[in-house]
This record gives sequence, structure tokens and C-alpha cells, in this order.
Amino acid sequence: MRARLILAVALASMPALSGAQSVVTSPKADKVAVTIYRAPYGQGSMDLNWLQGFAMVRETRRVSLPAGESEVRFEGVAGGIVPQSALVEGLAGVVEKNRDAKLLSPGTLIDSFLGKRVHLRRTSIATGAVREQDAVVRSSGGGVVLQTAEGFEALRCTGLNETPIADSVPPTLSAKPTLSVRLRAARPVAGTVTLTYLSSGFDWRAHYVATVAPSGDRMSLFAWLTLANGDETGFANADAMAVAGRLNRETVDQVEPEASAIAITCWPSQRTDQIPEEAIPPMAAPPPPPPPPAAMAERGGEDIVLSGSRIQAQRENLGDLKLYRIPIPVSVAARSQKQVALLDQPQSHFALLYRWPSFFQNQANVPMPTNLVLRMENRTDQGLGLPLPAGNFTLFTARAARPFLLGEGYMTDRAVGETVEVIMELSPSVTVTQRQLTTKGSEGETELTVTNDQASAIRFEAEFKGDRKPLGSSEQLTQRDGAYRWTPTVPANGSRTLRVRYRLRT
Amino acid sequence: MRKFLLLGCGLAAAPLFAQSAIEPVLPSPSRTAQGDVAVTIYNQDRALVQDRRELTLPAGRSRQEFPDVSAQIRPETVTLTGNGIGIVEQNFDFDLLTPAAMMQKAVGETVTLVRINPASGAETRERARILAANGGVVMQIGDRIEVLRDDGLPTRVIFDRVPEQLRARPTLSVTLDAAHGGRQPVTLNYLTGGLGWSADYVALFDEPNGKMNVQGWITLTNRSGTAFTNARTLLVAGDVNPVQQRYRGYALPPPPPGGMVRAGTESAGRERLGGFYLYPLAERTTIADKQTKQVSFLDVSGAPADRAYEYRNPWLGTVDQPQSASSVIRFSTGRAGGLGDALPAGTVRVYQRDARGNPQFVGEHAIGHTPMGSSMSLATGEAFDIKVRPVVAERTRVNTSPRWRTRMLYEVSNASAVPVVVEVVQQGLGGDTRITDETMKSERLNADEALWRVSVPANGRAALSATFDTRY
Repeated sequence: MRARLILAVALASMPALSGAQSVVTSPKADKVAVTIYRAPYGQGSMDLNWLQGFAMVRETRRVSLPAGESEVRFEGVAGGIVPQSALVEGLAGVVEKNRDAKLLSPGTLIDSFLGKRVHLRRTSIATGAVREQDAVVRSSGGGVVLQTAEGFEALRCTGLNETPIADSVPPTLSAKPTLSVRLRAARPVAGTVTLTYLSSGFDWRAHYVATVAPSGDRMSLFAWLTLANGDETGFANADAMAVAGRLNRETVDQVEPEASAIAITCWPSQRTDQIPEEAIPPMAAPPPPPPPPAAMAERGGEDIVLSGSRIQAQRENLGDLKLYRIPIPVSVAARSQKQVALLDQPQSHFALLYRWPSFFQNQANVPMPTNLVLRMENRTDQGLGLPLPAGNFTLFTARAARPFLLGEGYMTDRAVGETVEVIMELSPSVTVTQRQLTTKGSEGETELTVTNDQASAIRFEAEFKGDRKPLGSSEQLTQRDGAYRWTPTVPANGSRTLRVRYRLRT
Repeated sequence: MRKFLLLGCGLAAAPLFAQSAIEPVLPSPSRTAQGDVAVTIYNQDRALVQDRRELTLPAGRSRQEFPDVSAQIRPETVTLTGNGIGIVEQNFDFDLLTPAAMMQKAVGETVTLVRINPASGAETRERARILAANGGVVMQIGDRIEVLRDDGLPTRVIFDRVPEQLRARPTLSVTLDAAHGGRQPVTLNYLTGGLGWSADYVALFDEPNGKMNVQGWITLTNRSGTAFTNARTLLVAGDVNPVQQRYRGYALPPPPPGGMVRAGTESAGRERLGGFYLYPLAERTTIADKQTKQVSFLDVSGAPADRAYEYRNPWLGTVDQPQSASSVIRFSTGRAGGLGDALPAGTVRVYQRDARGNPQFVGEHAIGHTPMGSSMSLATGEAFDIKVRPVVAERTRVNTSPRWRTRMLYEVSNASAVPVVVEVVQQGLGGDTRITDETMKSERLNADEALWRVSVPANGRAALSATFDTRY
């Protein structure tokens, strides 16, 4: 048995290994920092199987190397690693760094034994007798062909219980995504290495939850920062950060990790009635089966952690971006989400108004619903005055001591000093009818009526864009941001009407 | 470590076990059939492989196989040279050895069947002649005709040999005519796909001091399906235009190189051939299949670099919400005050240190092949705090003439704690558009674009207004 083991190890030695090179494996990181960057247009909840953001992972590992040439294998890096972005700091004498996309799997294992010896084990169902014999793998691309002492046979085309057995795993196949470095050291080294790389399969979102205070003019604005890791690699006790703002990304040519099952194809071996009509496909090797369908993973495997709002991310400027740091080390587990507080502004001023985006020659002869808009001034004196990363927005009010959903919307990145407007919903309780009274000669006249069925007065804004000019109006119009606006207060259970004469031709 | 000691012993011990029942026909497991390999890799998925092998040839005609050539070899580009050797013909066989192909090729041949009795495990051995392998295998056994495994019982089919033309990997075979027999070197040259390279740059930008450190890495990717063992490797920067990209006799211009504002005219101190820069790897390397390999080629510290902000409005239109300006890093590749090297095409990734001093990624930008001495301007992303909002304030017809007058208002805001200059560019000014009035002097970059440099105080705003006289 021992003799056979040595033999197999010898056979397994790959051409990649030359000379007296030792292999040092670093199985995992000692300390990890993960910075997550968001998908540019992400909205709503995240799909862990389809995360379009990415992460920068920074790992600290301790390694000790012998003198001379060695290969250091960093196992357990994120599966979505962009190898082009990998940086290794703290090692002198690096000759090259490599990332092998072939993972240890039945298919790649048998591939790596092409032309080499394996053992073929057959177990008799009748007697339970086990027989082993040596075999050379002669082909593994489109079905496995083995050469035994008796001749050539195809694996698993016999109807027997048979399997190939290898004695060792080639050193170039790792179970986990691996980055390796080939280097030459003058003397033995023990030290700390920092590994930095980008990885796909991460994302984060901001979600704002606003609750209107009983007074009605203030709200408590709270936001969740939700981090998601869709990768197969988890990071325990990590410094976790999120970056807001938009970065330029380029498409990178990534070699997908290759892991496959053993391809088994046979000559027709079924009964005659099961044989399909078409002839055996000629030479074409079937494509390797797709990698294990991560996309099919069950939702049960996901881990959604609500950390509670006591932990709040700390903000700092990073160049022209905003960095949010989770103040305590957290575990960013594989295929999981984690939430912490992004901000908490309990006394924020806001206004709700109903908007009708239009133009003078517009016609809406039947009452149309208007947009409910939440408006905030992002200033300190308004209870805000901090960067607001893009995110979904949910507005609640209290009804009989129970929360009541007023509307949901989305807002883009808003800097300090900006006006923030979130379109919450189409409101049927405030309607607009806009009719054209005359369109004769060079003049037109339009009439706009806004109705309010609520028991309180509301703020309304009609916005007229386009290049037609008003000639006179029954109510005062203001001009702002390239549009004419009418901004009346509509009384409770009441209506207001505007008439505008305008130039028909420009 | 212990494992590798074992491995070393194993290598030495291997010959002892070679006399097992199987005669290994394929090359000895520890070696590749490749000889002295040199690989020249171009940027566009193209590589030239030179493989010098020692062959033992009989005098006169013989058929020689060259296993371990690239699986993506372009057979029409193969040349084989050797002293006194003439090529009669060459074939590239890719009839893959699969069980199905093996059975089809065995039609008319005799194979051994081993039937296993499922109740007792007893084996019966018979010889069978394959009559047909169409949708089922029809065999003649003695004077009976049977269909293979039609009874569903376990049956081993053992072939005496594998047809010569079936191979585990695509194989090149050449029939050649040698003037004299014996061991002699031959050189195989061919082009192959599946190998490519690009550059990757890591730029650590120190914004307060206006400096950056840049490391350049050559990234080599092998998807050819073949490992190249202990190869001398040369990388060529520059695009060799493939013939099929020509259209009606004109070569299509390559996509515009990113980031370069002004092309440099300096020559970098690197090996060149014609217009190409050559990057030889310092030592031999093994390029495994499905491998991404990186080798350092550039390391510059403290090169001057600064940040700028740009905003482009594509036409005379209003945007509903203020838009972030692009955040741009500017530097030179020149000898004086720059990186001092030519940059092969690739991606520049920019990092900045966070409050704790750890580098964080802040964006990336692709560059084309960039001569030394060029001015670079790379947009790494958008500035969260710096925004521009263009608004059409007024648009009127000029009297009765068919011309229009458009007054644009650009509001620039800066929520950061430092004053900035934002370059606002209005595009879409082609034709005979004139700027009749502006609150600040513009610079006409070209017929289509005008530029204003707007200074914005820290935590402040600035406004710019301009009136355009257009035909439409």
C-alpha cells in the first residue's frame, strides 16, 4: 500500500513543479477587512444570487518560508476574486503571482490524471467481492477511457459498480479559490503578509425608514446599511466597511473557476427500446457540465442578521467618496446579509406636497392623480445636513398607535445642502383636471383645477415645462429651474383653479 | 514540507514501478512532450509558440506526432524546420478519444465481452465482432447476432487497441522526409489563440500631497487548454491588426485609447521592435492552463498627480436633479515630472488611504497603449459632494428669423470642505452655434464643445450662465 502511495505521488507530480521548490500553504486569513462597493443602479432588496456590487478584501496572514524558491498558496480567498487586482505586500523576492482557476472536483481530478495511473475498483453486487486493478486514464474529455492490463475500456459503461481511485491530489488543485506567489528568499522568513484584492459577488444598500412624529411637521429618519455577501467565502471577525458614491469600473477578463463532474458518455448501453433515433454524436466532446449551480442554492442557506440599531456605521471621507465603517469587528458570513444603522436623525424637518408635472398645452380632461412628494432640505438647521447615499425610502405614520405605511420611493445620492425630493406614490385623493379653453390664432388658454378630498389643507405644485410663454394668469406663477410653477395651498375638502393664457407658437 | 520530501522520493522511485502490467504509451507522466518552449504573446488573444524538440527520426519518410501543442493551435500557421528535413504533409487531428468514438471506430473489429452474472458474480468471456454502432451496438458472437446490453445485464467491453486517429487531446502529426536518421532537433512554430495579456496598474494616490505611487503588473491569462512548461516568455505591446478586421480595404481604426489627453513623444528605455514595445519576462515560467499570472514590470514612487472635476452636458437641456461631476486624476507619463515610462494597455486601479491609513479602492479606468510623455486624465468615478445642474432658463426665437436663443444656467455646488474648480463642458454646439453672452469667459475646445472653469468655494455654490445662438 505504501509503495503504491509513493508511486501515485510521483505520477501526480505536475510539470509545473520544477526544481527544489517547496510549497507553503496559508489556509486562511488571520485578520480581514472587507470594503463593500454598491451596484450603481441597485434598488430594493438584494438577491444574494445576483449581487452586482463588489468588495475590496484586505487579508493579513502569517507565513513562514524556508530559504530558497518556494510557492506560497493563499487558500480561502473570495471565489469572485479579480486576480488582476491582487496585491501582495510584505514578501520580498516575488517572482510571479498566480491564480489557478481549476478547483479540486471530480472532473478536474480525473483530467489531471490523464496519461497517469489510477486504480479501478469494482464491487460485485452479487458477492460483495472488491477487485482493484491499475488503469491508465487515456481520455477524460467526453467520457473516460481507461487502459487496463486487458485492453481499453470505458468507465461506467459496463453496468458494474466501478470507480476510479487516485491516491493523492495534485498539488495544483485546491478545494478553495487560491492565489499563489512564487518567490525566492535568501534566508528563512517568518512574517506578516497583506493580501489585497477586489472580488465580485458583494453589494450593499441603504434603506431609509421615516416615521412622521405626532406633531406632523417632523419625522424620525433612520437608515439601514445592509451588507450582502454572495460569495462562497465568509469573513469572520472582519472590519466591515461600505463605500457610497459612484466609481468607474471596467470590464475585466476573469477566468471563471473550473470545477466539474466526471464526464460519462457511453455507447448506447440501454435496452433497445430506450435507444434514441439519432446516431451517436461523432467526435464532439460535450461541453463540461456547468459549475455547481450556485444560483439554485436554497434560500434556507442564507443568513439574514439584524444587528439592531445600536451599532451605527461611522462616516469618513475617502477621496470623493463616503466611507462607512462598522465600528466593531463583525462576521461577513458566506451567502448572508448583515444590517447596521447607517444614520439616525430623530428630528428632521420635511414637507409633503402634491405635484402635477405638465406643460401649458397639456390636456387632461378627466381628473388625474398627482404625485405625492416628500421634500427635505439637507441642512443642519433642518435636522439633517449629512451625506445621504442613494436608497429606497419608506414613510410611515402612526395610526392608533400602530404604524401605517404612507408610501415608498427611491432617492439618489444627495450631498449636504441639497434639496431632496422623493416621489412616494400616485395619490388619488388630490386630482388635477387640465383643459384647453381656447387654442385659436396665436393664443391658447388652459384651465387647471386641483381638488383635495382630505380633511386638511395640502400643498400643491403645478410645474409647466417647455418653451411656451405665459401671457397672463389668474394666479401668480413663479419661475424656477427652467419651469413656471403654481404653488397654491389647497384648502381642506376644497379645490383651486388656475387659468393661464399663453403664446401658442414659440 | 514533509509531503514534498515524499514527492522527491517518489520521483526517484518511479522507474522501479514502471514494469507493471501496463506499458505506458503516453509520454512519461512527469514530463511534457514539449521541448524548449518560447512563447510570444500579443494583446489580442494571439500568441506565437516556438517549440524546439529533440526527435529520433529514421532516414526517409516517417510520420511524427507532436502532442502537447496548444489545443487552440491555428494549424494553418504551423511551420516545422530542421536540418535536412522536408515536410510531406501535416495533419491536425482532433478526433477525440471518447467511448462512443471508440465504439464507432471498432465496427468490423473484434472485442472481448465479459459478462457478469448478477446472481453469482461469475464472469463469462466471449469474443464479439462489432457489426454496427448506429443507435445501438449490433454484434456477432460466434453464429449469433446480439445487441450489446439489450438484456440490461452488466457487460464489460474490452477493446484490444485504441484507433490511432483518436486522441485524448488535439494532436499535430507531420509526415516528414529526413535526409539522415538519428536524434536531431526540430523547431515547431505556430500561432495560437487562448493566450493573452494586459497590464494592470495599482496607483496609490496621496491627494493632500499631490503624489502617487504606481506599480505595473503584466497579467497573463492562459485559456488555451494547454500548459506551457518552463517557457521563455515575451510580451508584445501593440496591436497586430488581424486581416479579417479590414473592411473594404481599410483597416478599421482601433478603439480610442482611454485616458490619454495628449500623446507623448518620448521613447521609453525598453526594448522595441518597430512600433512595438517588448516586455521579456526575466526568467522561464510555466504557464498552466486556466491560470492568471502576474509579473511586475513598473514601480514608480512619488510621481506628481492631482485631482480635477469635470462635468459634461451633452446638449442644451435641463436635468431634473443635480448630477455629480466626474472625479478625475491627472498625471504625466513623461520622464520629467511623470511616470517615466510607456504604459501598455490595461486598467489603472486607484487607491487612497482611509482615516486609519489603510488603502481603499476608489475607482479604475482603462488606458490604451500610451507613449511616454503623454498627459493622462483618468475619470475614476463621480464626486459625491460636487454637483452640477444645467437648466434651460429661457429659449426664444430670434425675431422672425429661423434662429433660436437659449439661455443656460449651470448651478455648481460643493459640499466638501475645500474649494474646488469644476470644468463645465457644454457639448452639442456643432454647426454655427455662437455664444452671444456669458457670465464668465469660455474656452472653445472645438466646434462642438465649450469649457468654463468654475471656482466653487468650500461648502458653497457658484452659478454660471451662457446664452447660445443656434440654428434650431
